[in-house]
Amino acid sequence: MEIRYKTKKGLLENILLLEILKGLGLTLKRLFSRSVTIQYPNERKPLFPGFRGKHALIRDPVTGDAKCVACMRCASVCPARCITIRFERDEETNARRLTKYEIDSLRCIFCGYCEEVCPVNALVLTEEYEYSGYTRTPFLFDKEGLLRNWDEFLEKNRLDEKRYLNPFMRPRGISVKELPSGKRIDVPKEWTLEGQVIWRNGKAESVSAREISREE
Amino acid sequence: MDSNESAARAFEPYEIQMGPQHPATHGVLKLDLELDGETVIGCKPTVGFLHRGVEKLSENLTYAQTLPLTDRLDYIASMANNVVYSNAVETLLGIEVPERAKFIRTMVMEMARITGHLLWLATHALDIGAMTVFLYCFREREQLLDLFEEVCGARLTTSYTCIGGVRQDVTGHFLETLHKFTEEFPSRVREYETLIDQNRIWLKRTQGVGIVSAEDAVSLGLTGPSLRASGVDYDVRKHLPFDAYSEVEFEVPIGKRGDVYDRYRCRMEELLQSNGIIRQCIEKLPPGPIKADDAPDLVMPLSKKCVLADATLTSGVIKLVEDRKHYMEGDVYVSGECPKGELGFYFVSDGKGRPYRMHIRSPSYIHIGALPFLCKGQMVADVIAIIGSLDVVLGECDR
Repeated sequence: MEIRYKTKKGLLENILLLEILKGLGLTLKRLFSRSVTIQYPNERKPLFPGFRGKHALIRDPVTGDAKCVACMRCASVCPARCITIRFERDEETNARRLTKYEIDSLRCIFCGYCEEVCPVNALVLTEEYEYSGYTRTPFLFDKEGLLRNWDEFLEKNRLDEKRYLNPFMRPRGISVKELPSGKRIDVPKEWTLEGQVIWRNGKAESVSAREISREE
Repeated sequence: MDSNESAARAFEPYEIQMGPQHPATHGVLKLDLELDGETVIGCKPTVGFLHRGVEKLSENLTYAQTLPLTDRLDYIASMANNVVYSNAVETLLGIEVPERAKFIRTMVMEMARITGHLLWLATHALDIGAMTVFLYCFREREQLLDLFEEVCGARLTTSYTCIGGVRQDVTGHFLETLHKFTEEFPSRVREYETLIDQNRIWLKRTQGVGIVSAEDAVSLGLTGPSLRASGVDYDVRKHLPFDAYSEVEFEVPIGKRGDVYDRYRCRMEELLQSNGIIRQCIEKLPPGPIKADDAPDLVMPLSKKCVLADATLTSGVIKLVEDRKHYMEGDVYVSGECPKGELGFYFVSDGKGRPYRMHIRSPSYIHIGALPFLCKGQMVADVIAIIGSLDVVLGECDR
């Protein structure tokens, strides 16, 4: 496809500066339309669930401690190697017990792999993005710091810890069969493979389970 | 010193250094310009100020772990890098992507193309002196970045694809917002054109500047809109279709003269074509899985031997699985059409979970190599227009 050029201007258009007047007219028109600017510190844009922000370890409402089982999956998948985990064996049950969990958030590249591979949804990147400091030490989160991040996040956004849901806790559109049991949580129908959306009749609609099996 | 001598000295060629902290070089690019008066007689680009060693880093990371690093190549349109990288690894591992994931990838890649071209138009116009376009372009770019945030959780460093598909399915809100965007977008493009397309200052700054003929463009290795503006019909999306590009209809804009204005026109036409592709992808989006069945886990095993718990045994016995797909040995080069040009990934694999060597053919690096040819004989002020028209990103160039 050849690119289109606009037709050459006539003498009158050249003298009257018509193209510049048109541009100025557009600017003038925009002067009376609604502003799209957000006045940041005073007003904030609502974030979508699953924004990859400040790290937190979810506090288990039952035990009051972290859910982490020290499986080391997050530490081994991390491309920036910013997660350090130490654990010890319980002498009687031989179960792993977490002794140290550290995230160096200055090294983190916020890819979200850690929360995606976590089999028990212990780790989450919260929708918190405003944190700054004058030294490096506040950004080296230990286990207590990560749990504190979670409490602060819930408090700040007035969220219910039992109902908090993040797309990385159960990735949208992944079959239940492929998920570890800890990630098989209740999610909105749209997030499941059976309820995935397609475009039909001019709007996004959920397909029924029957249609997927017929496609296959 | 008498007056004759000083007059002779004034016309001696002299050197100035442009950059690396120059706002119009689009990053940390340094140009050593040799000037005769205001005419450029020599130009020597210096790159490497943003070198992070992505290629070397990837040798110590698994294929899945390198994917977030590709966000940082062309950070203006990181979705496109993700898609091309995943395609390359899938070719190496022999994985077929499900149909739905292919359409989603095509959709996000074209969204990335629009964000890339919008930022290019904004900064290019700003360099040449048109301030208003900048604000208009960022208005639309913001809408697309919000959509990226919705679908993958980050606005710029997306890491959206995974090897064998995409990480998250799209939502109904995403599709509806995007569809609404595609309806409005052609009128927005007309707005940009009202501002600059016929503007006489814009035409004076762009027409007849930085001309590169078709033969020269090919021999310099230009790709993408910079090549097509010279009249060469080469687009990876058409010639080696990847993902769902063979199933959507679009045209490739071709220029005639190969000057800055033609490169601008090509990209403006591409904006509309990308818009059309997104629309078709939304309407044709099939239901089905978003990840291939044989897609490797994010925590990829490093060696060929891998153990899996046998699902039929309840005692927790772990056995060695022999027939699991191994990493192939050999090398593979896969490229894709990114907003800047042809981005290619070359892998040499020795059968381990990490690439033995990864090479990135980044269009920006090659386009910067063409700068000395393009700038020779031009005015200093036109150097800015030429850099802008080639659309270089230094994150990708220095990698």
